Order: sequence, then C-alpha cells, then structure tokens
Amino acid sequence: MHKGYLCLVLHGHLPYVRHPEHEDFLEEDWLYEAITETYIPLIWTLEALSNDNVDFRLTMSLSPTLISILTDGLLQDRYLRHINSLIELAHKEVERTRWQPEFQHLAIMYLNNFCKARDTFQRFNRNLITPFKNFQDAGKLEIITCAATHGFFPLMDICKESVRAQVKVAVSHYEAVFGRKPRGIWLPECGYHPGHDELLKEAGLRYFFTDAHGVLHGAPRPKYGVFAPVYCRGTGVAGFGRDLESSKQVWSSIDGYPGDYLYREFYRDIGFDLDYEYIKPYIHPDGVRINTGIKYFRITGSEKKEPYNSHWAREKASEQAGNFMFNREKQIDYLYDFMQKKPIVVSPYDAELFGHWWYEGPVWLEFLIRKIAFDQKTIRLITPSEYLLENPRNQVITPSLSSWGWKGYSEMWLQGPNDWIYRHLHTASGRMTELAKSFPHTDGVLRRALKQALRELLLAQSSDWAFIMGTGTHTSYATRRTKEHLLRFTRLYEDIKSNSIDENWLCDIEYKDNIFPDIDYRVHQ
Amino acid sequence: MAILRKLKEKLTKIMQKEKKSPPQTLAGSPSSPQRTANPPSILAEILAKKIAKGLLRKRKGEEVPLAEKKEILGQQETAIGKTKFYTVEAPRMPRVMPQELPEQYGQDKIVLQVRDLRWIHAYWEITGQTYERLKNELKDEFYRAKRILRVYDVSQIIFDGNNAHRFFDIQINEGASNWYIDTAGPGKSWCVDLGLLLTDDRFIMLVRSNTVCTPIEGPSWITDEEWMIPEDMFARLYGMGFGLGRSSPAGKAWQERIKRELFSGVLASPGITSLASPVKKVPAERKFWLVVNTELIVYGATEPDAKVYVQDRQINLRHDGTFTMRFALPNGKQVIPVKAIASDNQEERTITPIVTKETK
Repeated sequence: MHKGYLCLVLHGHLPYVRHPEHEDFLEEDWLYEAITETYIPLIWTLEALSNDNVDFRLTMSLSPTLISILTDGLLQDRYLRHINSLIELAHKEVERTRWQPEFQHLAIMYLNNFCKARDTFQRFNRNLITPFKNFQDAGKLEIITCAATHGFFPLMDICKESVRAQVKVAVSHYEAVFGRKPRGIWLPECGYHPGHDELLKEAGLRYFFTDAHGVLHGAPRPKYGVFAPVYCRGTGVAGFGRDLESSKQVWSSIDGYPGDYLYREFYRDIGFDLDYEYIKPYIHPDGVRINTGIKYFRITGSEKKEPYNSHWAREKASEQAGNFMFNREKQIDYLYDFMQKKPIVVSPYDAELFGHWWYEGPVWLEFLIRKIAFDQKTIRLITPSEYLLENPRNQVITPSLSSWGWKGYSEMWLQGPNDWIYRHLHTASGRMTELAKSFPHTDGVLRRALKQALRELLLAQSSDWAFIMGTGTHTSYATRRTKEHLLRFTRLYEDIKSNSIDENWLCDIEYKDNIFPDIDYRVHQ
Repeated sequence: MAILRKLKEKLTKIMQKEKKSPPQTLAGSPSSPQRTANPPSILAEILAKKIAKGLLRKRKGEEVPLAEKKEILGQQETAIGKTKFYTVEAPRMPRVMPQELPEQYGQDKIVLQVRDLRWIHAYWEITGQTYERLKNELKDEFYRAKRILRVYDVSQIIFDGNNAHRFFDIQINEGASNWYIDTAGPGKSWCVDLGLLLTDDRFIMLVRSNTVCTPIEGPSWITDEEWMIPEDMFARLYGMGFGLGRSSPAGKAWQERIKRELFSGVLASPGITSLASPVKKVPAERKFWLVVNTELIVYGATEPDAKVYVQDRQINLRHDGTFTMRFALPNGKQVIPVKAIASDNQEERTITPIVTKETK
C-alpha cells in the first residue's frame, strides 16, 4: 500500500505577446520557442504515457493569456511559418554537417523533431489546447486556471477590485474553453496575500498553491508543515505548500538535474554560432542574431563544449528520474512514520522550464511517471482535487504573505527599476472601478469601450513586465507594454467620461489587444 | 520576541540531540559529483555566472543561513525564469512612446505596500493646491518645515491617529515621491503619515496611508489545540519543508552543515534584506576571446535539366542550372567528386576538388 502522495504541478504561462501591426516581432518568438520545445514535447510525453496505458495524475495550470495566444489564428499562422522556416534550416544543416557525423546526427534529430512538431500542430488543427483538454477529460490531467493576465496579487491588494477581476475573468475564460469550472488556481508567482482567498471562494475556486513559507509561517502553526494542505480561516479555500526539497533538485541551476554535463547547453545556438550570411534568413529580419533552437553542444563542464549526444542525455534523464523517485520514496517513508498520516509532497515547476531551458525535461518527466507507475509502491501521484476528496479534514490557518519569487516576498516586482508602475496601475484600477459602477447597463460603442478599458488594464497588470524590468536586461519591451496599455486605458477612461469615444481608434486597439472577446467589464468592482 | 527566542533555543537543543544519534545513511544518491554552473558561452549570462560565483564564495565561508540558502535558490529560479524571455533587442526598431504617463494624477494620496519582512514601500503625490494652501497658512514656517514620513506601529489596534504603539520619523527630500522604509519589524502593522514637521515640533499631517502588515519571520507561536504538535516534531517538519530533509540528494555532510547553520543563525525565512543584490551588479571581467571555424562552399553550374551528385548524393539545382553547397570543414582531407549526368543519360562529367584543412 502506498504511504503518501506526490502532486506534480506544471505552471504554463506566457504573457500576451501578439503584434499584428508588425510582420515579424521578436518577442513573439517566446511563444514559438515554447511551442516547439515545451508544449508539443509535453503533449508527446502525455501521449506516450497514455498509449502505453500508464496511469498517471498531473496538474497543470494554463494561464488565460497562454491559452489565448495558443488559440489565436494569426499567431497560429505565424507559428506555421516559423516552424517551416526551421525545417528548411534543419535541411540545410543536415547537408552542411555532412563531414561531421557527430553534428549531422543532431541536425537529423532536429529535422525529425521539427517535422514531428509540425505534424502534431496540424493534427490538432493548430489548437494545442485540444490535447490538454482531452487528457483532462480522460481523468489524467487536472487543468487549473491562473489570473487573467498573471497579475501579481500581493501588489494589487490596495485595489482588490482588480484582484477580483483577474480571478473572475480567468474563471469565465476557463469555462468557455474547457466547458467546466476550474477547481483550483495557480496564483501568479505563488503570490498570496492574506484575505485574497475570499475572492477565490467568491469565484468558486477550491484551492491554490503557496510557497513553503506561506504555509509554514501561517498562524496557527500548521501541524503537518507543508505535507498536508491547510484551509484558509473564514473561507475554507485550501492552500497547498510547495516542497522545497523536490523543487531544488530540479530548479537549481547549479546542483539541480538540468545542470548535468551530458545535457544540452542552452546558450550555444547556431543562430549565434554560424556565419552571418548563412544564418541571416533564419534570424530576425533586422539582422539581429537570435536563438533558432538548433543547439549542438552539451553543457560539458568547461568552456570548450563537446557535441551533444542524445542517447547519453536520455540515459541520464532516466537515471535522474530514478533518483528523484527514490528521494521521494525516502521522504514519504519518513514522513509517513513521523506524521502517522499520508503526506502529500507538492512539486510545482514552471512548465517552460521543461524542454526550453531543460531540453531533456519532458523525457525526464515521462521516465519519472513510468517509474512511479511500475517500479515502486510507496508513492501515488495525485491531483489536489482528488486529495481533498480523500482527505477532507484539514487544519484551518491563515497562511502568510508569500511568493515563490526572489527572496520570497514582493521584492522582485517592487524594486528600483519597476516600482514606478504601481502609482499608475493603482490609479487605473480605481478608475476602472469608477467606470464599472457608473455604467452598469450599456450597449454599443460605450460598451465596447468599457470592455476594452478592462482589457487594457489587465494587460498592463501582467507580472511579466515588472519581472523583466526587475532583471535589468532588455527592459524596453516590458516598459513599453506597461506604458502602452496604461496610456490606452487612460485615453479610454477620458473619452468615456467626456462621452467622446473615437470609434476608429477603438477599432484599432480592439484589433491589437483582442484578448478576452467576451469580457464582462462589470466584474471590476 | 522572547517566546520566539525560546523556541529557537529549544530547536537548537533538539538538533544537537539529533546530531548525536547515528545519522541515517543514504543509498542511491546520484552518482555524479557536484557540478558547477553551466558556463554560458557567447551570450554569457552574467546573472548565472554571478550566482555560481556567489555560491562558491558561500561554500568556502562558514555561515550560510537558511535565508540566504533560500535566496540563492530564488536567484537561480529567477535566472532560469528569465530564459523564458531570452531575447535581444532589435536596434533598428524604434520604441519611443508617443506620449508619456502623467507624473501626477491630481490627488493627495499615499499608498503603502509590503516589500518583504521588514521593508515597506510608500509612494505618494501631493497636489500643488495643497502646498499653496499650506504656504498661505504657515507663511515662513512652511519653508522652515521638514518633510516627514511618520511611520506608526499600529499592530492589533484600530488606529485613530493617536493610539499607535510607537512611531518614528523619516525626513525626506522635497522632490521625493516614493521611499523604501525599513520598519525592522516583521509581523507588525504599519501606517504612515506624510506631513510637515515645524520648527516648534508640531506635525501637520498632509495625507495618511492605508495600513499594511509585514509577515512574521519564522513559524507562528500560536498553536492550535486541536492540531497540536510537539515542538521538536514541528522543528523537523519545518526544516524539511525548506528542503533540508533526510532524503536530500546532496549528502549528509551538507545537510548537517545546513542544519547547524539554520539553527545557529536566524530561525528565519527568506527575505533578509541585502540592498546589494547580485542580480544588479555586472562584474568587470576580462572576457576577450576568439573563435575560428571554416566552411567550404562548392558551387557550379550545368544544364538545368541535368542530375548532379556531390559525393554520390543527389542535390537540387536552381532553375538556371546553378548550384551551391556549403559544408562545415573539419581538419583533414575531403575528396568531393561532383558528377553531372545529362537528362538523356547519354553523357556525364565528373570534377573532383580535393581540399585539405589544417589548423595550427
């Protein structure tokens, strides 16, 4: 009989990056890279498990912005163009590396993978949400929601109306996409502020995740640490705490799995390594070198990189999956004796870590799930919903303010380079509440303007912009997005107040920022 | 605080006791040795390097409190998280805003937000009219007055302006519109007035903030009768929650050290402030380097309808019968027969370039 549970959570999110006004837009590559390297390989992993009748449970959050860009026709067309161009490049690479078999093998591997990715993309009619939905309907995958545009809630506490809007818009978007209500939510950046569980409850959500100290520093003291969920005082919404030990094994770039010498080196891409004239058609039209996704080297452990060997890397992924499982078995064995109760170990990761940063991540995940299914009896994979169904009695506490970001609280999003945004965001939130209250019943252009105002506000609130500003490199896009949406919001606000909406301009921004077509602006109160 | 200190002492004792008992051995730890960071190459990620360095430095040193350990993990997560947005800036893409955001919104307002355990951030704006009014009222006094943030500890009370447990003042300069405030007090509630401190010590409040609560810096000392747990057991669960468990792959010695450091330092969570964050500093390293690779271009032309084979593999011709092949050229000798066969198969020509490459 098993002695405890492992809850694997992948958080899938990208901000809304869609620029119909430009033929080629550098930042859209975030999506194309993630499709080829993360989302499609994860679909392959789930398909492989399912084809072999491996029973598994996985929890995944798909942020509303990610779902929106994955289902957007324009971006789907552009992805196809992108992958076709990569396939063309891979063909050339197979030729070019003819006298270097160690690289030619890899060129062929990329060519095959890219072709297979294109097949998968077309097999699902370009809609990559479909396979995830199918796995959810089959009972293997629990898809949860996230905030509408990934706003960081602790820094929105001063305007709870915006937190409410982020949650409610996300929940109705989820319902429209998946045909059922979401049970749980991934709080962006695991950012929990005491009291926000109230807003989750209002939206019908039953659980969320926090970082370890969110639960461990809650009051009263949580009897089982992070190894059992807690119910928030007053609302009964469950909070699951992250287990940092299992996180560290995967996250740490130094002693975590992804740093293994046999694994693929992220920073050596032919987009930077090859002759400019040759690579030019496959980089940005402005001539800026970018990642292509074709990378020939392994981490190696020294400056002189060795060629990547996919067989060795696969072996290593299998070994490390075994190691991860072994450690969880030990951990759960120990906790079970100690707690006199089945512990739950919650291991959440950024989905984009798998495949994009850690090329072998999806394979590792597949090995892990297979091993758990066949090689041991201590651990059972579980989703939070299932856990709560089997273990309905849990301690009531008030979790602590926390996030999984740098230093554990809000500093990543509130520091010198990004603290200027909050006076503008909060003012805009206050104005949006004012609009929603002033115009409870509307139609026509006014209604469109109000809907667009909420879209612009939500887009400005994405935590990604503050995050990028906080890292201090390549911040101009993030700054521009923040300002652009705030300026659009401000103009809409002023036009609505003075009853002088410019319909042509409204059409233009509706076309550019077309997220959440069915948004209800009245949720912002 | 006394209770917390007591708890800390207790936990220390427990850990010492635990050290005496024979430690469990760990079978099946990963066979590969500890590794250093991936040395990023051409587009070196300064951040990742800095972190690796920071960690090495810390390994040599004695004290790595839990907070820092968690902070290092946090930095790594940030560095990896960043790769999602890995990109370069296109120099020719003008990114000028057509219009700027307003500096002020015409309100008297101050807003507080929590940055971490001890630091809170305030931003404010005061309208010109408010200052004008004060100038008229105070006359010369206005110019002699200091601008002050008065920070009140309002834990567990409903603040009415006079009942704070204590307060402290921070003098700010005239142009400032935001401030990071070190409250030095986790687990408390704070409220801030922005105002003028006159020469006679009178304080004129201009605007009052919202109230915020800094989180507590360790486990709560409030326990739940129904969900009691002995303190030693809680201490273990607490450490395990932070990734210091027995099944940690990093080896026993490392765990022991961390445990020692955990309970000798603050029994703290992440978030101890260090203003000099490694993320922001760029090391002035010498990074001169050189890479040389060679490629060979084989090109030619024949009848557009001919078949052409390069090293026995057929290639595609352009519409005008020209062709170009490009090969990465390793050291050694390459024999490259190029054979063209006429479309009626009646004629063929072969030309064989031979290329030798050496690198010195």
